[in-house]
Amino acid sequence: MANLFSYDFRYDDNEHETETSEAQKEVEDRIGRVYMRLVDPQTLPLGGEIDDTKHRLLRAKHEQLINDSIHGLSSVFTVLDSSQPWIPFWCLNSLDVMGSDIDDRLRRHTMDTLRRMHCPSGGFRSDPWQLPHLASSYAAVMALVVVGGEDAYSVVDRHAMYRWLMEMKQQDGSFAVHTGGEIDVRGIYCALVIASMLNIMTCELVSGCAEFIARCQTFEGGIGPYPGVEAHGGYTLCGLAALEILGITDVLDLGRLAKWMCVRQMPFEGGFNGRTNKLVDGCYSYWVGGAFPLLQKALRRTANDDYLYERPALQRYILACCQDTRLGGLRDKPGKHPDLYHTMYCLIGLSLSQHYVGVDPAQEIADKSSVFSVPARMMQWGAVPARAKIIGARINILRPVHPVYGISFGPLAQGIKYFYSLPPLAESFV
Amino acid sequence: MGESEKYNSDKGDYVSLKEQEEWRDVTPIPQEEEPNTVCPIAYTDEYSDMMSYLRAVMAKREVSQRALDLTGRVIEVNPGHYTVWMYRKQLVEELGTDSESELDWVAEISEIHHKNYQLWHYREALISRLLDQKTAEALTQDQLVRHPVIRRELLFATTAIDGDSKNFHAWSYRQWIVRTYGIWDQELVFVDAMINEDVRNNSAWNQRYFVLMGNGSRRPEKNLDSPLEDSLVDREIAYAIEKIKLAPNNESPWSYITGLLLRHAPARLYNTLLPKLQGLAAEGSGYATSITTTPMYWSTLVDIYERQAKDLPDQASVLLDMARDACDLLASDHDPMRGKYWEFRKSQLCADATD
Repeated sequence: MANLFSYDFRYDDNEHETETSEAQKEVEDRIGRVYMRLVDPQTLPLGGEIDDTKHRLLRAKHEQLINDSIHGLSSVFTVLDSSQPWIPFWCLNSLDVMGSDIDDRLRRHTMDTLRRMHCPSGGFRSDPWQLPHLASSYAAVMALVVVGGEDAYSVVDRHAMYRWLMEMKQQDGSFAVHTGGEIDVRGIYCALVIASMLNIMTCELVSGCAEFIARCQTFEGGIGPYPGVEAHGGYTLCGLAALEILGITDVLDLGRLAKWMCVRQMPFEGGFNGRTNKLVDGCYSYWVGGAFPLLQKALRRTANDDYLYERPALQRYILACCQDTRLGGLRDKPGKHPDLYHTMYCLIGLSLSQHYVGVDPAQEIADKSSVFSVPARMMQWGAVPARAKIIGARINILRPVHPVYGISFGPLAQGIKYFYSLPPLAESFV
Repeated sequence: MGESEKYNSDKGDYVSLKEQEEWRDVTPIPQEEEPNTVCPIAYTDEYSDMMSYLRAVMAKREVSQRALDLTGRVIEVNPGHYTVWMYRKQLVEELGTDSESELDWVAEISEIHHKNYQLWHYREALISRLLDQKTAEALTQDQLVRHPVIRRELLFATTAIDGDSKNFHAWSYRQWIVRTYGIWDQELVFVDAMINEDVRNNSAWNQRYFVLMGNGSRRPEKNLDSPLEDSLVDREIAYAIEKIKLAPNNESPWSYITGLLLRHAPARLYNTLLPKLQGLAAEGSGYATSITTTPMYWSTLVDIYERQAKDLPDQASVLLDMARDACDLLASDHDPMRGKYWEFRKSQLCADATD
């Protein structure tokens, strides 16, 4: 059985039909039709093997969609008016991961756009009439790092950002996503990604974060947005990545977490779902798939052991089911419209599956939980070329990305080098 | 955009605010057209127009009905505009707007925009003002459940769940209400009904755990590892088994009961749950095939034997052998997609044995 595909893996509903099982079977029908077109006919008598050599990443088509989007978006995007800092991030990071050209003009225009989205009192928002938002700030900072260069980095006022982050900080260790906004694990992730990148980590900023995240781990083993709420792929990555920045992943029950993460991979589809008994979705290729390198490190496994999930099956799902061959871009699943969010998350999920990205446990840094160890620990991550697994044409290979930041190593390293050459904040020493 | 500003929208012709007498006194603040913007959005004339006037009233810190109405229209078109939600909240407070009608309005928005984040958060704020905790503390659970404010909110969340049985926000909102006002008992009834409707609804199973942890107290989550009363454990094991029998190849009840017992009554894993599962797996039970062909059964055995080996070290060797056999069976037959995981799991068992 080449790379684990089989109709035996279809969901068994024990002849007890419910809404969940019917929805699952419908998706499997759809995806089954996609996969059957890829089956090598000569293997049908023996069950049917998918010819995985044929998968092709349609770079040019995705580039086209992205470049069109950079040029302009139709009025249907009005609903993203308040998430505007995300859009250049989805676009530029996708281009970068694909190794596509980001010319000077695009860099300058992106910088100018994000400069206008920068709030002088800290954080980023779509325009001066909107409140700064933690998720938008995360996206903007990452986009500027992908653009790279001192001009881009200096768009951010680090001191203002720190003050604003501390305004969002809650007593219980969490962060609100904007003034008066909701509180959940996303906030912690965004705050720590920003702070660790900009060299504005302080004990005050990180206090209580690990404890809050630990309280969000449910009886299932995954992590939810808030204590008590259902375990969910997005929040699981946010929690695990935040703990990796803090250097204390062992506050979690890693055994239960590993189990929950592994069960998210759908046996028939190959992709991941985000919650128990829900449907597969391409974006979880990053939120769950991308968490496996982090889990690997937390479990102190080495490059000699593979990640705990089936990498080829995920890549097959992304390449065969998530690419929109007509419109370009990537999507949740066949039948859904592609969009920039799914394009980016499918691509970085694909990258993190193609490459083995890890940290050699023999190089463990002492005093991991000190805020001063953050840049060194983050830069220990790297790709191990011998452990790469590329499904389909060799040219499908993407740039490796860092699982915590979701951006490629080149821009990441440049950014960290720059920000850590600046003096730390006075508040770091309090 | 050669047309005039009037055009047909769902609600009839749109008339620019500039043409409206009511808005004569306001100078709109249009969005600045910046050159070289990446990913510029081509807003509709309607949206641009509304936002121009909204910026103007926000700049003046105007507190008025017309400002309130305008926030409503913007939110209808762009429900993700969190800043406008915040502004609306301020206006409602300062205008002393009737909370009932405001709740009705939020309900209308939720009908159009099911998956919106902000409306739930907004609703929480409204309810907190309508029924503060101090007042609530003086009432019994029964009284609270029948209180018009709470009854209405439970219905609101239920309606959302009727439309989307796993609506993340709706279930989370119910947790907030239950936790804030201490109405745990009714939630168990609701959970039961939802599990009966679809035994695979994991949000309902998660809620069940949530309710059990609240356990009648008004304080939030108990200590994560606090023990549960025996009778409660008996009840939950029986409940989980009953639901497993309906559809053994369903993750939810298995991860529920294993998670619950591991945290709060580990000895019951092997003293009570194991014999019941073995009973189901036995020939002639009527469930032998369906139970022994689902990976969840074998996976649960691994968890049970591991725990049992830890608690009863003199039997550890035999138990861990059985656990390792189950891992092998899972990797080869029942759950090959997770082959690497089962290999890992097995290696962890060995590690425990040599400790």
